[in-house]
Amino acid sequence: MNDAWQRSRKLPRPLRLLDDLLRAREAFAPGRHSVPHGQLVLVVLLCGGLHGAVMGSYAGVEGALYAALKIPLLLLLSPLICLPSFRVVHAVLGLSDDLPAARRAVLAGQATLALSLASLSPVLVFVMLSTDHYHLVKLVNGALFVLASLAAQLTLVRHYRPRLAAERRHLVALAGWPAVYLFVALQLGYALRPFIGNPNFPTELLRDNWMGNVYLDLYWAVRGVTG
Amino acid sequence: MERVFKELDRLLRGEHTATEDLRAGRIDIPVSRLAIAALMCGAVFGLCMGVYLAVADGPGGSNLQPISSALKIPLLFLTTLLVTFPSLYVFATLAGSRLDMLPCLSLLVAAVTVDMAVLASFGPVVFFFTLFTKSYAFIVLLNVVFFVVAGAVSLGFLSRAVKVLFSADTSNGSKRRARWVFRVWLLIYGVVGTQMGWVLRPFIGNPDLPFTWFRHHRESNVFGALADLLRDLSGSW
Repeated sequence: MNDAWQRSRKLPRPLRLLDDLLRAREAFAPGRHSVPHGQLVLVVLLCGGLHGAVMGSYAGVEGALYAALKIPLLLLLSPLICLPSFRVVHAVLGLSDDLPAARRAVLAGQATLALSLASLSPVLVFVMLSTDHYHLVKLVNGALFVLASLAAQLTLVRHYRPRLAAERRHLVALAGWPAVYLFVALQLGYALRPFIGNPNFPTELLRDNWMGNVYLDLYWAVRGVTG
Repeated sequence: MERVFKELDRLLRGEHTATEDLRAGRIDIPVSRLAIAALMCGAVFGLCMGVYLAVADGPGGSNLQPISSALKIPLLFLTTLLVTFPSLYVFATLAGSRLDMLPCLSLLVAAVTVDMAVLASFGPVVFFFTLFTKSYAFIVLLNVVFFVVAGAVSLGFLSRAVKVLFSADTSNGSKRRARWVFRVWLLIYGVVGTQMGWVLRPFIGNPDLPFTWFRHHRESNVFGALADLLRDLSGSW
């Protein structure tokens, strides 16, 4: 055991758990078949809720409360919607035995996404305090989501590495998951908006047209521009 | 005080970040003493920057600018570190850094201290030119050059430490991740630091404008100002 590992054992328990998640060890080590659902969901709820509260605070306390609920919902519901197709893909590829490990990888990835977002929250707070340019705040938040998603991808790959070494067919699941997840998460994010409410408009839980389809709206927007 | 300068000297000589210690994920940096050194060095450079407005002929000349800058330069670096540290730690750990939270913070404080020490060493040069120069543009440019040089030295220090920290695992994937995390560090720290500088300005003080502790309005941001500047430049061509 190295010094860093021994020192991190002295951290308070919540911080130690987060540290273990980032380093993929102990309860969060790759390859173990039991999935620590409770701990991973708790990380998503707390860390995602924190970043959501920061995002929503741009529109006031009510906005902060709404976004603190909606970000964890977005991070948990998106993979949940995709999991059945993930299960079928594993069955078709003959990898059903590895499904618990794959589920662990996906959940650990979501927890890493939430934790990365929480760690980037001070940056968003600073940007919000230093400017009242609504579109800049949205742009910075978008960039922070991209960074956090890349961090989540690192965890996903780290969990998949031993599976891939044993069976190359896992590559299909590893490549397919982000594509399906992104497709669903973008639509869910569109339905759950606003997260950073425009301060010039009244705060609302969901937009009036929340049942819209992001891809069709994009299609019509492009058609409108190109004539 | 003597100990503070002794530790600063040891840091600049690389004694606090020996390769063997970094490889073992062990960093023995006296954070509090180096933080004091960083504050003092930043204040010295800020003082030298602010002297320009104190000796300026324009209507904005003020003896308060050296005090204001001496307070704001250390604040600029330390608040930027405070805002960016959580994300820097998370990304470094994800990429496989062997450091845990406190040593990671120590390393970043050390990098900021190196930056401040280099800046402070340029203080007398800034002061000297201030006495012989009336051009505001020249003084601004001179300070920008010194900030860039100090930033480059500090980055060199941090880059070397990051390379060693990740070199225990010599796989190509690990090295790629180390490069990736270093770029993310730079991006986050650079963007926040630039906007922080904008929020805390003025540091030198334009002699044609009245003295003010802060000139920031929430309607403005550094990136919008840069875009306006580029628009103006392209319009004038």
